[in-house]
Amino acid sequence: MNPIFTKLKHFWLERTLPGKVALLVLLLLMCMAVFAPLLTTMPHHRSSGPALEPPGWPHIMGTDQLGIDLWAMMVHGARVSLAVGIGTALLAGFGGGLLGMVAGWKGGRIDGFIQRLIDVMLALPDLPSMIIIAAFFGSSLRNIIIVLALFSWSRPARILRAGTLSLKEQPYIKMAAYFGAGTGYILKKHLIPELFPLLIISMIRLASMAIVTEASLAFLGLGDPASRSWGLIIHHAVNFQGIYLTPFWKWWLMFPWLFITLLVTALALLGRDLEGMADPRIRQ
Amino acid sequence: MDRSIKASRIQVAYHTDGEPLKALKETSFTLREGRSLGVVGESGSGKTSLALALMGLVNRPHQTAGELMLFGKSYLNLREVEKKTYRRSTMAMMFQNATEVLNPVMVIGSQLTERLIEKRLTSSRLAREEAERLLRLVGLEGWETDAYPHQLSGGMQQRVLLAMAIACNPRFLILDEPTSSLDGIARQEMIQIIKSLQKKLGFAMLVISHDLKLVGELTQEIMVMYGGRIVEKGLTDAVFEKPMHPYTCGFMNASVEMAPHKDLWGIPGEYKSEDTTAGCIFRDRCTQSLDCCQSETPALKGVSIEREVACHQDGLVSILKAESVSKEYQIGSRKISALNTVYMNLRHGETLALIGPSGSGKSTFAKIVAGFLMPDAGEIFYRGTPLTDNRFACREGGIQLVLQDPFSALSHRLTVEEAVGEPLRINNIASEEEIVSRIKETLKSLQLYSCDAFLQRYTSCLSGGQRQRVALARALVMRPKVLIADEITSMLDVSTQANVLRLLKQLQNNLGFALLLITHDLNLARKVSDQLIVMEDGKILEEGNATRILQNADQSRSAELLKAGLVDG
Repeated sequence: MNPIFTKLKHFWLERTLPGKVALLVLLLLMCMAVFAPLLTTMPHHRSSGPALEPPGWPHIMGTDQLGIDLWAMMVHGARVSLAVGIGTALLAGFGGGLLGMVAGWKGGRIDGFIQRLIDVMLALPDLPSMIIIAAFFGSSLRNIIIVLALFSWSRPARILRAGTLSLKEQPYIKMAAYFGAGTGYILKKHLIPELFPLLIISMIRLASMAIVTEASLAFLGLGDPASRSWGLIIHHAVNFQGIYLTPFWKWWLMFPWLFITLLVTALALLGRDLEGMADPRIRQ
Repeated sequence: MDRSIKASRIQVAYHTDGEPLKALKETSFTLREGRSLGVVGESGSGKTSLALALMGLVNRPHQTAGELMLFGKSYLNLREVEKKTYRRSTMAMMFQNATEVLNPVMVIGSQLTERLIEKRLTSSRLAREEAERLLRLVGLEGWETDAYPHQLSGGMQQRVLLAMAIACNPRFLILDEPTSSLDGIARQEMIQIIKSLQKKLGFAMLVISHDLKLVGELTQEIMVMYGGRIVEKGLTDAVFEKPMHPYTCGFMNASVEMAPHKDLWGIPGEYKSEDTTAGCIFRDRCTQSLDCCQSETPALKGVSIEREVACHQDGLVSILKAESVSKEYQIGSRKISALNTVYMNLRHGETLALIGPSGSGKSTFAKIVAGFLMPDAGEIFYRGTPLTDNRFACREGGIQLVLQDPFSALSHRLTVEEAVGEPLRINNIASEEEIVSRIKETLKSLQLYSCDAFLQRYTSCLSGGQRQRVALARALVMRPKVLIADEITSMLDVSTQANVLRLLKQLQNNLGFALLLITHDLNLARKVSDQLIVMEDGKILEEGNATRILQNADQSRSAELLKAGLVDG
């Protein structure tokens, strides 16, 4: 049998029930984002019917105050949320993780410098700083990802530095160094494969954090106005005067909230489930 | 009056049909009266030729050259008649083969006194008494005077030969294999008799034998001969303790009397007796030979006090040397001294066992001499170059270390192939195909599978013994000159342990790599090691020849440790 298929099968079989459910939900949401244009015939950035229509046919989730189809906005918004989540997780996870591993492996001055940098990042209040930076640099999707990554790399860096420190004393890594292996080789061949589960878990956490933060920023009106993210839908809905006096919130606010919650919960559950991967003792 | 025997540049060439065969090449030595000198070497090394040449018994057409100053008188250049007279009054030789020397149709008594009567040293009337006296001197009873040689046992015949040799009261006695045909008890008696005779009569003695133990008991100095040349000369105890010439070393390892508990290993290669070209005579069997060994003949030169070695490199090269190495570990506010001025000299082709109770600093020392750990004080030299980092571990033919615990020494995420090939790949030593073939070869030699399925197996799926051998393969794949092995056999079952150690010994014998074996298994150390270091609390308790220390465990400073560890301690 194909080895990759076998591995995937093992991976699936090792998951607990919540983990399996979370995986399925994530997969569904990803499919939603990827096949967005196929899942809806309605446009997502212009009016396609009467305003504030409740769920029904052809608007299965209703429309907003401008008459834009909510389902179309949801599937396209999934792209934004997932892009932010994955982009931030990759950028902050790999960048911060690498910095942490280098700090742990090299030690000395480099370690000291990176540690101080982490301290500074942890001490900075991230949401206010992000609001200011987002306001200052303009709120394109790319900027949001960069800003989010800038404020979240310290956590994976710390985790991987600690992991590296404990691995560093392992005889087989010392032996590799004794055979003349450089930092690059040790990172590539030993530290990254060894610490990858740790990295993945912290990346999943980062992703859910990034998605919530992006939604928060959008909710505060600092998101990318061109990208219809889930946060932005909530922002518009909440800003609608007297929404709670009408039944509009039942679809206009509920659906974006539901999707954000689903995504974040699925990520959290998967992250928790994958922790076993980092610690083989849990696995057994 | 000169009381010494000086032989200088003695040569013997046998002229047979073809080329003259140079059996002995420029051999010189000095021997004082009352002292004894041993000559050892394998058969055909020229031992007996030397004895015959000294006696002046090499007849035409064969040739001898050189000079023998016998108590101030030049002997070899005398005329034949004078030579004979002088020889009879000053020197005698005990031949190795009793049945050939004794006349079968003459009674022992007459054979003994024949020469005395001829020289008018005794009258026929007193001859019988004299013969009985001589026989009693060598531990016989005296009635043997009337016996014919075939009526005596081999041991008795050998004693008769000794009696004949001392009959003329020689000042210089040559013994050629004096105990070759004797059993253990008779042999011991013979040694005692020779010793007491020497004390009583004060003659100088040249003992020729391939029995190292006999030479060790009878002589103060020793010459090791190979291919008609002296390759090493020195005080007997010192040579036995630390042989310096590669041949001497190999010879000792091949001698069961020297190390009864050790494995026997012959010197690889064959002795070429007809080799007459220039160059070191031992070069083809030597594992450390250089280019100059092919073209120049090394002269016998002094390398230390009372020690001469004929080698371009002054004997076995010191490969890894540690001088006053100290190391401290800081644990909390306490400083723990792990090593305190420890030293070591690991020579080419040698096995050095480092033993001691756990916590004595063995592993720390191993890591330091491997360049894995840096000492606080002291210096390490690899072939004379100071060792300051892991440079020599990164190249072929350098130092390799095998760590104690095979479980943590190999990453459980690597396959066997990746783990063993790691040092080669890190240092870009060979092409990819060559790496794979070298890995397979090394695995095979360690009795592991070399099939692809095994190569692709993860190290975490292996048993402890397999892991240990994979870790060893990772070191051997670099073809090291020095292997530092920390408890490598702790995880192996007895059969694998035997195979692995025999493999290492085999490699050592053929390639001449040096092995530093850290172990707490004294029986194992006794089996394989040449030199021994006993450590305790970070200090060296005892150091020297492994056989000597382990055989005399009672007198050792570490007697308690040794006796507890040895099976028959």
